[in-house]
Parts: sequence; C-alpha cells; structure tokens
Amino acid sequence: MQKKSNLKVGLIGNPNTGKSTLFNSLTGARQHVGNWPGKTVEKKEGSFKHGSYEINLIDLPGSYSLTSYTEEEIVTSAFIFDENPDVIVQIVDAQNLERNLFMTIQLIELGAPLILAVNMIDTAEKKGIEINLGMISTLLGIPVMPIGAKTKHGVDKLLDTIVSQSKRLGKSQMKLKYGTEVDEELSKIKDFLKTNGYKSSNMEWTTIKLLEGDLRVEQDMTREPYYLQLKSLVEKSVSHLETVFEKNIHTILTRTRYGFIKGLGKDTIKYSENHDQSLSDKIDNFLTNKFLGIPIFLGVAWLMFQATFKVSTPIMGLIERMFAYIGSQSLSILEKIGASTWTQSLVVDGIIGGVGGILVFVPIIGILFIIMAILEDSGYMARVAYLMDKFMHRLGLHGKAFIPLIIGFGCNVPGIMATRTLETKRDRLLTILVNPFMSCGARLPVYALFAGAFFGANQGWVIFSMYILGIIIAIIAALVLRIFLVKKLSSPFVIELPPYRWPAFRGIMIHTWEKVWIFIKKAGTLILAFSIIIWLMASLPVGVEYGSQDSFAGTLGETIAPIFEPLGFGNWQSGMALTFGFVAKEVVVSTFGTLYGVSDVSSAEGVTSLSTSLHNDFTPLSAYSFMVFVLLYIPCMAVLAVIKRETNSWRWPIFVATYTTAVAWVIAFIVYQGGLLLGFN
Amino acid sequence: MPLLSEFYKNTTVRITNINCGADFCRRLDALGLFEDTEVEIIKNDNFGPLVIKILNSKIALGRGEADKIYAEEI
Repeated sequence: MQKKSNLKVGLIGNPNTGKSTLFNSLTGARQHVGNWPGKTVEKKEGSFKHGSYEINLIDLPGSYSLTSYTEEEIVTSAFIFDENPDVIVQIVDAQNLERNLFMTIQLIELGAPLILAVNMIDTAEKKGIEINLGMISTLLGIPVMPIGAKTKHGVDKLLDTIVSQSKRLGKSQMKLKYGTEVDEELSKIKDFLKTNGYKSSNMEWTTIKLLEGDLRVEQDMTREPYYLQLKSLVEKSVSHLETVFEKNIHTILTRTRYGFIKGLGKDTIKYSENHDQSLSDKIDNFLTNKFLGIPIFLGVAWLMFQATFKVSTPIMGLIERMFAYIGSQSLSILEKIGASTWTQSLVVDGIIGGVGGILVFVPIIGILFIIMAILEDSGYMARVAYLMDKFMHRLGLHGKAFIPLIIGFGCNVPGIMATRTLETKRDRLLTILVNPFMSCGARLPVYALFAGAFFGANQGWVIFSMYILGIIIAIIAALVLRIFLVKKLSSPFVIELPPYRWPAFRGIMIHTWEKVWIFIKKAGTLILAFSIIIWLMASLPVGVEYGSQDSFAGTLGETIAPIFEPLGFGNWQSGMALTFGFVAKEVVVSTFGTLYGVSDVSSAEGVTSLSTSLHNDFTPLSAYSFMVFVLLYIPCMAVLAVIKRETNSWRWPIFVATYTTAVAWVIAFIVYQGGLLLGFN
Repeated sequence: MPLLSEFYKNTTVRITNINCGADFCRRLDALGLFEDTEVEIIKNDNFGPLVIKILNSKIALGRGEADKIYAEEI
C-alpha cells in the first residue's frame, strides 16, 4: 500500500468547547478563511506538518448535532459525507460530557473515523468530576485522548493518534441497541433496500436516518425508482412504532441515544457532591440580574461604542492624511513627468483615493472586532442575547442583533460584519437589512451643515430627531420584512450560557486579523471597483473638469433632479450631491462645496459661505426633507460591498439599495408635503 | 399540566410533553431537552427568557418556547 502523507482532518464539536483554541494552537497563523460554497458560513482551513505527514485541518462550525437545523449543521454533515475526511476529531468539554456525547453517538453511527479529544479535564476535576477515559474508549470503541487546548497538553499525543488512526481507518464497532421493536422495523427497511439493490457504505445509518425522516437521506432516495414504495414502508414503520411507544419517533430514538449515554456516564463519570455556587454563577447573578442586567449591558455597549470610535478616529485621520500626502506627492511627480491631467486624476482621485477609502475602515473594524471577540469568548455575548431578547424579539429580531445595530450608529460596515455573531441565516439577514437605517457617523456632517444653516438654536434637536427617525424606520422595516420577506417564522430562542472564561489573547488577534483581511480582500476590491466607476463618471466625457456639471455624474445628477421635486429639493446641485453621496455620505457636503465654489468646507468661513449659498436653493422644510432623504437613501458603496460579502449574493445588496431609496423617497415626501399642508415652509 | 414557564427558580422539574415543530424539536434533542428529562429552573423573571440547567449546562430559553413545554415538579 502506498504511504499516504497528506491527511484531511475535520475538527468538530459543540460551541464553547475550546475548538477554535485548539485549531489556532495547531495551525497558528497559517490559516485560510473562506466561505463554504454557497453558504454564509465561514470555512477555516490550516495546514501543518506532523512527522512525515502534512495535516490539512478543517475547522467545522460549532454545532450541537448532525441534523439540519442551522446552516452550520448542514455544512458539518455535508463535509463528513462528501469530502471523505481521513480522521474526524471531536473536541468535547469534560465538564459537560453527556451533552457532548450526543453528537459522538451520531458520528459513530455515521461511521466517521472518530477520535474523541476531551478538553478541560483539569477544570472538571477541580469541580469534583472524575472521568474514566479508558473505559469510555472501550465502551465507544474509539480512541479517547485528554487534551488542554489552551495549555497544549496532550496535543502531540493527539496528533500521533490522528496519524495512527488514519492508517487503520478504523470505524467503531459499537452498535446502539434501539430495542427489539425498533430493530425489527430497521431490518424491514434494510431488507427492502437490499432486495432492491441499494448500496451504501453505511446501511445501518441510512436506515436509521430514513426512520428519522432526515431530509438529506430522503432527498438521495427520491432518485431511486422504488422511492414511493420505500416511503410508504417507512411511514408504516414509523406509525407502528409511534403507536407502540405512544411517543414521537424522534423522542423514541433520542431517548435510546441518551439512555445509552446515561448508562455510559454512570460507569465512567463520578460527580462528588459539590453544592458551592461556582464563580461563574456568582457573576451571572450580577450580570443577568433582573434590574441591573440591562443597565450594565447598556454601559458596556456605550463603552464599546466609545472605545471603537474614539480610538479609531485619530488613526483614521492619520490614514486620510497619509493618503492625501501620497496623493499630492504623486500629483507633483505626475506633473513633472508630464502626464495628462486625465492620468493624474485617475491615479490621484481614482486609485489612491479608492485605496484610501478602503483602508480608512481598517482601524474601526480592527478595534471593534477585538472588543467583540472579547465579549464573545468570555461568554458575555450569550448573556447579552438573553438580556436583550425580551425587547428585540418583539421586533422579530434575535437578542444578539442589538450589538450590530448599535455599532451601526458608528458605521454600518462593521455593524453588518458583526451580524456574524447571529446563528441562523434568517436572523443574520434581517439584522443586515435594517442596519443601514442606523444613522452612521458619516451622515453627521450632512446634518450638521443643514441643521446649522437652517435651524440655528434648535439644531441639536433636529439632528437628534434624525437618529430617532432612523430607529423608528428600522423597527418598522424589521416588522414588515419579517412578514413579507424573511418568511420563516422567528427562529426559536435557545442558546447556551457557557461558563465565563478568560479570552485567549492569541485567538482574538488571529480572529481580528482574519476579519480585517477578509474586509480588505473581499469588500475592498468591490469598493475599489465602485470608486473607479464613480471616478470615470465624474471625469468623462474627456476634457470636463473632475466632478463638474458637464461630467456624466453631473448629467446624471441633473437627470434625476426632477424626481426630488415633490420632496422639496429638485435643484440639480442636490441631485449631484446625492449621486456622489453613494461613495460615502459625507461626500454630499464636499460636493455642495465644489458646486457652490466653496474651497474649504471644513473651515469656519467655508461653512458660513456654504450655508449662505444653501439658502438660495433650500427652505428650512426642504432642508429637513433633504436630511431625512440622506439618512434613509441608498447606503454607501462600502456597505453594499459588505452586504454582498456577508450574504454571498448580489441579490441582497441590490434589494437594500432599492428598498432603502424607496423608503427614503416616501418618508421625505410625507415630511415635505405634510409640512407644506401644515403651513411650514 | 403546568408549563415550564410557570415554575419558580430553584425547582427541579421533569419534562412531560413538548409541543414543538420538527426543527425546534431536533434542536432541543441536541441540547438534551426532551420528554422525561430532569431540568432545573435557574432563573425565571416572569418576563423574557428562562434560564434552565440541563446536563450541567445553562440554557436560555425564550418565553414563547418555554410555553410549549409541559412539566411536573419532582
């Protein structure tokens, strides 16, 4: 037999078992992050050498079982079926062995080449839990290894076992006994399949899954000519068993599995009586307290928001200045070598400006994800979901959706990226779709300009009203989208509250770097493409001044201007400013600056002269209507790019661009026309 | 039969019946929550999700979900 020196190893486990920690300590920074084909679930891979073997480790998403409840579970079972891994390592938490073993049983039934890695055995011992690993190994018929994912204890031994296991390709001989009644029905189905010539590497598993009504196996069977016969046979068996046991078929099978685990637990796990409240419970009494829980969380959220934007603002300023400097230097070089103004503008405004527009997001994303990872790894994020679920669930949103929405007030880009913390695709999607209505920091300069120019003493309240309006629209949008678009009913709220633990620094840094890198690579290329398109529109036809009324962008602004007539701002300047606002919403201000011939919109005189000019084209009412429109209309290109990246499809960014603009038009129309009726102007 | 959401904290109950759709049932199975299992109520504020303990782990369960689960005190 030829020696196989490449091994494909899948790492699987319940959430919060230390799976990512083990993955990080094995692969280090040599990780590749992508998406599972056609899914929004992240796929992480990493390779490393052990002896003469090159091990390719695939981190399977954390899941509790092998059914198809969440996208994560679908991905996990598809990997085991379709990709023929050499070894599957299941990492389990010693403190919670019984629950973890449920998936072990499913994996064994599936015939996966399984090794069990028992993590945190020392913590379990401290809690008075004693586990006989040797006996578990004998009873399950698979290798069982103690490891410390954080301390790297036993990791080398685990790797040795992976290598030796792969040579034997051993499958556990353990067979679960479901009792005579069930076994009889199972063999009926099996006999039927055999007589019809159905071939399967794992007949036992196929028959059990048929009885369970597993979607995947059933779908495979629809291809067979005897599918209808098989279906009625299975249905007969199921109804027979359900009458005999007076229970649902799933309950019958689940009870058998847990019954086995319970028996195994009695023989191998000893709990010494320990009634002391653990530190984790004490912290929980405080952090999830009926009265204190929410105020504490709001404090944490406020700190998180402040830290993210306060720390990143100076760094962002630095990046902006750096790119401005690079831009001006390049300009002078290009002038010296006699490049055409067209080339100069392409390099400076299109390319350098575009790249700068991507990198300027990096500090926010980096800092935000460090904080998010700390909240997630420490176990606090699960408590946040618990606390906020009371309110969020009335909107059809998940408790965890609160954080991405608050982040949106700073910037919608990281807000949308933060939706990764949500478990089901539906929750993720709904939170992404309403996020752009959270009024981000880039819209503030627009409000400040208009509120300052038209509302004088009341400008604070006017700006505040924008934020409130954004929240109200987001709530309405969530309620409406829930009914029409995301048709599946609100996903049940069931989450584990894991014990609090110290986050692993290394893991957090790796995780954050991944996020930043994905943003630069995936969203960044799109943003750059958008920038260049906008640049082309602003500089063509050849010979026009960049961004002037005669450019394509200017013509577009003029063409669309009449659409805004009923909203009170049908002037061509507004049309153009809104067109350029797609690049980033604050660009609306600088566009007005250019159009009114004000060179420096950030200086005090600049603002005053811009305000004066605005009075020619706007009334207070139309100014307010304009602010409402800027708040709600198409999100900037960076937001659309991350929506594309997060939903893995063009459908959603296009939908968001359309529906937000439609909402913006309608609301601004109501504001302006309603205001006119009420006698404002 | 009383609902799971009607029990006070620190009581241990046995699940008697769960009224759930296929997906939700599978989810609960995986967490060890099904008929005849024993569950400890850790927290019940009469508002918002419950916290229960199953097989050594704490699970937060939405109130709507807890209203589909019947139990008896033991």
